[in-house]
Amino acid sequence: MIRFEKVSFSYMEEGSTLQDLSFTIEKGSITALVGANGAGKTTLAKLIRGLIHPTAGRILFEEEDISKCKASTLAARMGYLFQNPDRQICKNTVGEELDFTLERTVQDPIERQRLKDDVLNALQLDPADEPFLLSRGERQKVALASALVHRPQLLILDEPTTGLDYKECTQIMEYVQALNRQGVTVVMVCHDMEIVLDYADHVIVMHSGKITADGKTRQILQDPTALTSSALLPPQIIGLAARLMADGYSGFEGICTVDAMATQIEAARKAVTA
Amino acid sequence: MKGLMNYFPGDTFLHRMDPRSKIVFSLLVCIACFVTNNIYVLLGILVLDLLIGVFGGIFTQALRLLKGLLKIALFLFILQALVMRAGTPAFYIGKLAITWEGLKTALMGVLRLIDITLPLALMISLTRMSDLSNALVSRWHVPYKYAFAITSTIRFIPVFTSDLRSIMEAQTARGVEFDTKNFFKKASLIVPLCVPLLISSVKKIETAAMAVELRGFNLRTKDSSSKVSQFHLPDYLLLLLGIGLIVLAVLI
Repeated sequence: MIRFEKVSFSYMEEGSTLQDLSFTIEKGSITALVGANGAGKTTLAKLIRGLIHPTAGRILFEEEDISKCKASTLAARMGYLFQNPDRQICKNTVGEELDFTLERTVQDPIERQRLKDDVLNALQLDPADEPFLLSRGERQKVALASALVHRPQLLILDEPTTGLDYKECTQIMEYVQALNRQGVTVVMVCHDMEIVLDYADHVIVMHSGKITADGKTRQILQDPTALTSSALLPPQIIGLAARLMADGYSGFEGICTVDAMATQIEAARKAVTA
Repeated sequence: MKGLMNYFPGDTFLHRMDPRSKIVFSLLVCIACFVTNNIYVLLGILVLDLLIGVFGGIFTQALRLLKGLLKIALFLFILQALVMRAGTPAFYIGKLAITWEGLKTALMGVLRLIDITLPLALMISLTRMSDLSNALVSRWHVPYKYAFAITSTIRFIPVFTSDLRSIMEAQTARGVEFDTKNFFKKASLIVPLCVPLLISSVKKIETAAMAVELRGFNLRTKDSSSKVSQFHLPDYLLLLLGIGLIVLAVLI
């Protein structure tokens, strides 16, 4: 769906921010961009959305060169959630906020209402609420709702779970996953490796403007060198499995879930007692 | 990315000069610009403004600022040239005569705009806001609260500019045509952005106010400054240059 071909980018008067990036994001995938602060994840997300253009190389979206499109015309096909929800919110009520996106991207008024109701129900938002009076987490949900209400082909999320408690975080990620199952491709910038493990099927690791690893989620998260070289830690369950294996307990290789870990520990306990 | 009014660190003689002399010099340049009616004086001041950029090590920023100002200047030039009716016709647009006097007045107007804006913006880029604040309090006996308000206002300009840029990006991502080449359409689209910008600005200011209160804002006195602000030879020379410009503007 998205193909980067030897893409480089630099902001004015600063050195190269992104250098010679080549990779592909498959249609229907959930891809996580991970890396330390300043690695270039947000810049990469903005390049994908067409908000900024590469200084070298090209980016293809459905075989169309993004640099040749106006960013505003891509809104119907791409949704983008910014790190700070207050950047996006500009209307007096949650309902108006969703209408703002829908009016520009969906022609049919009946379809607009259906999409709006769907997202309001899924994220438990009240259309009459005033966004700026809501909590940080609620505003994040409003911003997310307005980014995905029109069901774009590609949804780009820049730290979607920032400021959310565990319940809200699960709620929105479940909804994003449900949209993904309906065919929406998702690219998310994420610092929370637990979220990456639970929801992403593909991971791109970045460090100092370069891609240091690119592959299937479990393969990347179980590769200590891929993570540590970018100042990242694996999710706790994978860290625990690695630690047990290092201590001489076999059978923990490839364990990524609490259930699998519990089963393996039980098996190991039985083996010891037997 | 640094923008207009950001401090650009350095160790040039302009960086080391007293903040008061830089501000007063900028004001003297302003006066000279208003006093003169000579286009060569205004062009000379423009060269001087660019030299500030060269000597301050921020020539690229000066050119960027000049480029930005030229866009506004072009708009004002056309407006002024069209409005001024008196004088000898230079050429016609349809039945509308553009006069030599109109063109000269328009050129003088835009040169004044550029000459006035550049030195202050460049001098601020070469001055730490804390140094300016200290100088205002310890030497000019401006109450600290007012000095803080002045320097905070200047400090927040690039922050708000960056906020506005981010908000425009966010709205572009939602289908608002901020990427249009039509200036008037773009200007009309900015109005709805005032809501998020105003709200984020108020929030920032509230948070900043609380933060400074918690750090003992009211405990500061005029003697609390850790730096002593003092005039040296370059400061006097800069002020002399400013006065010289006014004299030149009056005489020519």
